[in-house]
Amino acid sequence: MEHLKEIINTLTNPKILFPSILFLYFFIFPPNDYLLKINKRLKLYNIWTKKGAVVLFSLLIGFFAFGLTDPNFQKIVAKPDNVPIVGLIFLVVFFLWLSMYQARENDQRIAQGKLPNEAEDAKEKILVWPDLVYIEFIALILCAALLLTWAMVLKAPLEEPANPSVSPNPSKAPWYFLGLQEMLVYFDPWLAGVLFPTVIMIGMMAIPFIDNNRKGCGYYTFEDRKMAVSIFMFLWLVLWIFLISTGTFLRGPNWNFFGPFEYWDIHKLEALTNINLSEYVYMIWLNRSLPSNILLREGVGFLLIALYFGLAPLVLSKTLFKNIYHRLGVLRYSVFTILLLLAVSLPIKMFLRWAFNIKYIVAIPEFFFNI
Amino acid sequence: MGQDERHYNINKLNFLFAIASLVLLSALGMVFLRDNDKEWRKYQTEFQTLEIEKTRVKKDAEEVKLASNGEYEELLAKLETAQAAFDQKCQFKELEKELAKLQAENEILNQQYKFSKAEMDAAKYRYETAQSHHAANLEQASTEFYALDEKTKTLNLQVEESNKKLFSKEKIIDSCGEELENLQKEKRQLVQKKNLLDRKLNKIDPQEMSFVNQMAQMVRNLPVIDLANPSLKIEQVVLQDVRDDVNFMTVPKVERCITCHLGISNPDYKDEAQPFKTHPNLELFVGNDSPHPLEEFGCTVCHGGRSRGIDFSRAAHTPASAVQKKAWIEKYDWEKLELWEEPMLPLVNVQAGCFKCHSGESTIKGADKLNLGLDVIERAGCYNCHVIDKYKDWPKTGPDLTQIASKLTPAWAYKWIADPQSFRHKTWMPSYFNQSNNSDPESKLRSQQEIHAIVHYLFAKSEAFTAEVNSLKGNPINGESLVNSVGCLACHQLKDEAQAQPETANSLRRRFGPILSGIGTKTTREWLIDWLKDPQRYHPQTRMPNLRLTDQEAADIASFLIADTNTNFASKTSPMIDDKVLNEIAFDFLKKNLPKEKATTELAAMNQQQKLLFSGEKLIGQYGCYSCHNISGFGNRKPIGTELTEEGSKSLHNLDFGFIHDIDHTKEAWFTQKLKDPRIFDHGKVKAPDEKLVMPNFNLSDQETEAVVTALLGFTKDSGVEKKKVARTPDRLFKEKGQEIVAQFNCQGCHIIQDEGGAIYPTLQDWLVKYEGRDSKEAEKVHEGFNPPNLRGIGKKLDPDWLFNFLHQPTQKVRPWLKTRMPTYSFNVAHLNQLLKFFATLDDEQSTFYTEPDTNLSNDEFKAAELMFSTEVFDCTKCHVVGNKIPAASEETLAPNLALAKTRLRPDWLIQWIKDPQSLLPGTKMPTFFDPLDYENSGPPDILEGDENKQIRVLRNYLFTLSDKKNTNSSSDNSSSPAQ
Repeated sequence: MEHLKEIINTLTNPKILFPSILFLYFFIFPPNDYLLKINKRLKLYNIWTKKGAVVLFSLLIGFFAFGLTDPNFQKIVAKPDNVPIVGLIFLVVFFLWLSMYQARENDQRIAQGKLPNEAEDAKEKILVWPDLVYIEFIALILCAALLLTWAMVLKAPLEEPANPSVSPNPSKAPWYFLGLQEMLVYFDPWLAGVLFPTVIMIGMMAIPFIDNNRKGCGYYTFEDRKMAVSIFMFLWLVLWIFLISTGTFLRGPNWNFFGPFEYWDIHKLEALTNINLSEYVYMIWLNRSLPSNILLREGVGFLLIALYFGLAPLVLSKTLFKNIYHRLGVLRYSVFTILLLLAVSLPIKMFLRWAFNIKYIVAIPEFFFNI
Repeated sequence: MGQDERHYNINKLNFLFAIASLVLLSALGMVFLRDNDKEWRKYQTEFQTLEIEKTRVKKDAEEVKLASNGEYEELLAKLETAQAAFDQKCQFKELEKELAKLQAENEILNQQYKFSKAEMDAAKYRYETAQSHHAANLEQASTEFYALDEKTKTLNLQVEESNKKLFSKEKIIDSCGEELENLQKEKRQLVQKKNLLDRKLNKIDPQEMSFVNQMAQMVRNLPVIDLANPSLKIEQVVLQDVRDDVNFMTVPKVERCITCHLGISNPDYKDEAQPFKTHPNLELFVGNDSPHPLEEFGCTVCHGGRSRGIDFSRAAHTPASAVQKKAWIEKYDWEKLELWEEPMLPLVNVQAGCFKCHSGESTIKGADKLNLGLDVIERAGCYNCHVIDKYKDWPKTGPDLTQIASKLTPAWAYKWIADPQSFRHKTWMPSYFNQSNNSDPESKLRSQQEIHAIVHYLFAKSEAFTAEVNSLKGNPINGESLVNSVGCLACHQLKDEAQAQPETANSLRRRFGPILSGIGTKTTREWLIDWLKDPQRYHPQTRMPNLRLTDQEAADIASFLIADTNTNFASKTSPMIDDKVLNEIAFDFLKKNLPKEKATTELAAMNQQQKLLFSGEKLIGQYGCYSCHNISGFGNRKPIGTELTEEGSKSLHNLDFGFIHDIDHTKEAWFTQKLKDPRIFDHGKVKAPDEKLVMPNFNLSDQETEAVVTALLGFTKDSGVEKKKVARTPDRLFKEKGQEIVAQFNCQGCHIIQDEGGAIYPTLQDWLVKYEGRDSKEAEKVHEGFNPPNLRGIGKKLDPDWLFNFLHQPTQKVRPWLKTRMPTYSFNVAHLNQLLKFFATLDDEQSTFYTEPDTNLSNDEFKAAELMFSTEVFDCTKCHVVGNKIPAASEETLAPNLALAKTRLRPDWLIQWIKDPQSLLPGTKMPTFFDPLDYENSGPPDILEGDENKQIRVLRNYLFTLSDKKNTNSSSDNSSSPAQ
């Protein structure tokens, strides 16, 4: 038992957890034909069957049931603030499975030359009254009962009286902002707090204008829109849901990382050994001190950034995104790649942090400019 | 639309709908159930039953009292006869009938009159308008008006007549029933108490209630309807002038404790269990007439806790012990309210709440534990290392070490620093070494060398001091008697007791100075004599006063004290200086400021003496020895401890519990642990020797620890209670400052001031038995005559000029028979003036100026005065010393020197004193010559025409003429006192 907890604690160390999620993700949601082939060979798509659901939920419920026997796990998970996040995990997994289950069925039907399931549904007529209104009303009553019971069973998670001279430790953002708060670990506040939220909103508004693939309209499918689903799910599951869960369950006092079975020791100290790229280049590789000229010092970083945003779209248009480039045209393609590159910069930065302790690619604290 | 067009089976949906509705209904039901199942409702219901029971018992008692009251029975009988007489005599029923008839007539007439008058007014209006505008109708209007006017007048007359009749009838009835009425009034007065209880029971007791009330009682507590006026409801007091800080604004404190503590201000509940129990000491707290009434002070202002909480745990109750904690968990499901920063003070430390407002006072009446804590803080000198606002500018507690070489030997000093308790168990010098964080073998070796270094530094820096030569041979037996009588025992104890005794304010006063055991092992006779003769010569800031001992007395006392040795301590040996460890110590200090290489060369350049000196200085700085002692080279260095002024308000997470997990996570637990083992929080930490905690161990007893913890919890930020504090008027400040001086110089070791003190008194009783050969019973009776005086009322009594001079140089012998001497203190002018102000304000005496005594006496008056003074009348010299003439009576009956009256006493006070001494100083031996109950006839009738006021004034003026010289003459002329 204790060993198992140790193992889970070790696995949830972000240095292991995050790279493995990045790695596994693309096999489960393959964005291109090659990965899809591997997915099929590994029979990973079997997750989205009813049997798969049983396994998936057994694992999930088993994990929580096992975890709740541990006092540390229980303390965090059963905290009235965190209970909704546990619910969120179950709901997200359930709806993910439900949509993918339908997508898989449709994909199989299409492969057999049939129309998707939704086409059958469309023939049927459903009346607003009584069919829709009645079930909505029943749902409303059940929701009200649920909320009342919830309010009775769990106490409102109030904290200590506000005190300007004492901030709570850890001080966490509301759950829906935990993703953004997690970003603050990797990016300068003006990037994580201002630029990214803006880009996220603009990006979401841009989706209908960028995505001109008419397949998949009105029915669930995966294979017809691999790339789109894979990218969206990556942003949604990894960069939003995963970060919220991490922020809720794994970030403890002093914003340190704690395994799910670890005691939240307020005195835990982690060595602060993050370094900037410039220090990597000059101090570790070239074995000399940092140049005093800022441009020279941060040259490598600037170059990398320039390459990332300047060269990557070009290269991608010739290679991986060849089809997309042709389909979207230059303007739409540029907007799409820039948005994508911005989004992907977060996992890249996270990966660099956990794998190489990189703090900033470009670090100019003199002008509060850090990337 | 047919059934088959529907997507869902409607029956199934109906069923689902029914189920969902039932679920919602049960959830709603639960909401009401839970709301009605609150803890406080249970308590209020219980309390209601209890109240009914109590009221019934009270009512029964009242009924029994009435039944056994002869007066009441008599009254009832009288009432009966009166009723019978009334019925017979007045024929009440007939009269009543007639009266009713008259009443009816009167009412009808009244109405007719009113209507008629209204019609007349209307007619008047018509008549008037006709006159000005409608001449045609004039005649008709005029007739109408005059007719009505006539009718109204007639009716008016009839009404008056009827009124008269009615009145006379009523009067007959009244006069007839007058006696009955009076008797009934008397009865009402007798049963008033019972009626009140009856009325109360009618309101609360279902058995006594009317049916309607019973229904109302049931309905008013029903869900939803209970929003109007339920009998079960949250009770609260809102304190407008005590504010809760909610950041950027404050709100009035709302106190809901009384929702459950329902009997808190009602003395009837003093034997009930919690939560109904009455608050103890209602005259001081909670009671309406107390200085802290509930409506103005609430509960949490003193007790702490969450004032809005109406649930046991959520009110932040704090258990006072582990046993209580267990019981609470079982009984109330108690859990610590983790997020509330000011939990309730545990009952054992509850007096901490007093300090919030009473911080200026030295002794807070009624808060004995808190006072004890403050006393221990003063004695132990916590304020030397930790800044505490209350003790700003207080003198250092430890002796001066700048001339230590003349007093001690290095070997003694080594052993003392290493383990002060092995010399004296109850010394205030705390233990620095062999504590929990430096008692491992390696640290022990290091400690030895550290002590060597410290001792070396102290002796190397010691300045020269030569004790005055006194070659007299002392008599230890006389010395012992002197020590026991002259006043040493007000501040010192002779014996060092290993067993911890419960401390009191007075026992701590007697630990003001060091315990006088083992002096022979500690110092030399020469130094001791010099110190006894003039303590300030050795240590100018010492608080040891000068007892003005003669050379012989000093020699006697020294011979006695020096004979006491501590052989165990003397036979202890100290280890040798170990160069290796010493090098480490010195190197560690050098390394701090120098690069390693330089430090090594620097160390190599030092010889052993230099290393010791260097390390010694650093160590004294590290351990903070200079905080309590004057040490050369440490001038005004800042104290090393954490400031404690607001320690009680410190956030719990600012207290480092380190790796100690087996104590409660509360402030009081942390403080207690810290005091019991000041180094404990180093446990499990990896620290270099100079990073370790250095707070020494004062070896406090459990009682002392608890008291100090109480005081610490009281050192809070006084947020929100400013308006509740006693105003800091000049008078108040004079009192506080005076109390501070009194505490600093231990005046209450000898004197009773503000009804506190006199620590020396019991020792004088022992002295009487041991050295004066009195038996213990007699000693108990007479020892008061040998006690230093009670200073009650001296603000009104003593002339300020005289008091100033006396406090400065107390050489005048007011009570020459007392063995205990008023010592000479090193008071400066500021001290003296503050003391004068202090005593004056204590007695509300405004003037602190000298009043010229009135000595005017005519010849007759002088003679009358002499007569009163003589043995024939008041016989003053039977007890009073006059100049150098001491009455022959036994010493315990003697009274102050009257030759000093002229300069010493205030004239107004003296008048009062002669008139009624007991009112000024209850229990005084001074006889009451003028009976206050029959003052006009109390004086001798044949003197000064028996005018008491004149007698007293003349006697007072006469007393002011006495002096050392004159006294000899007058007494030789007038009295045949046996003293001659």
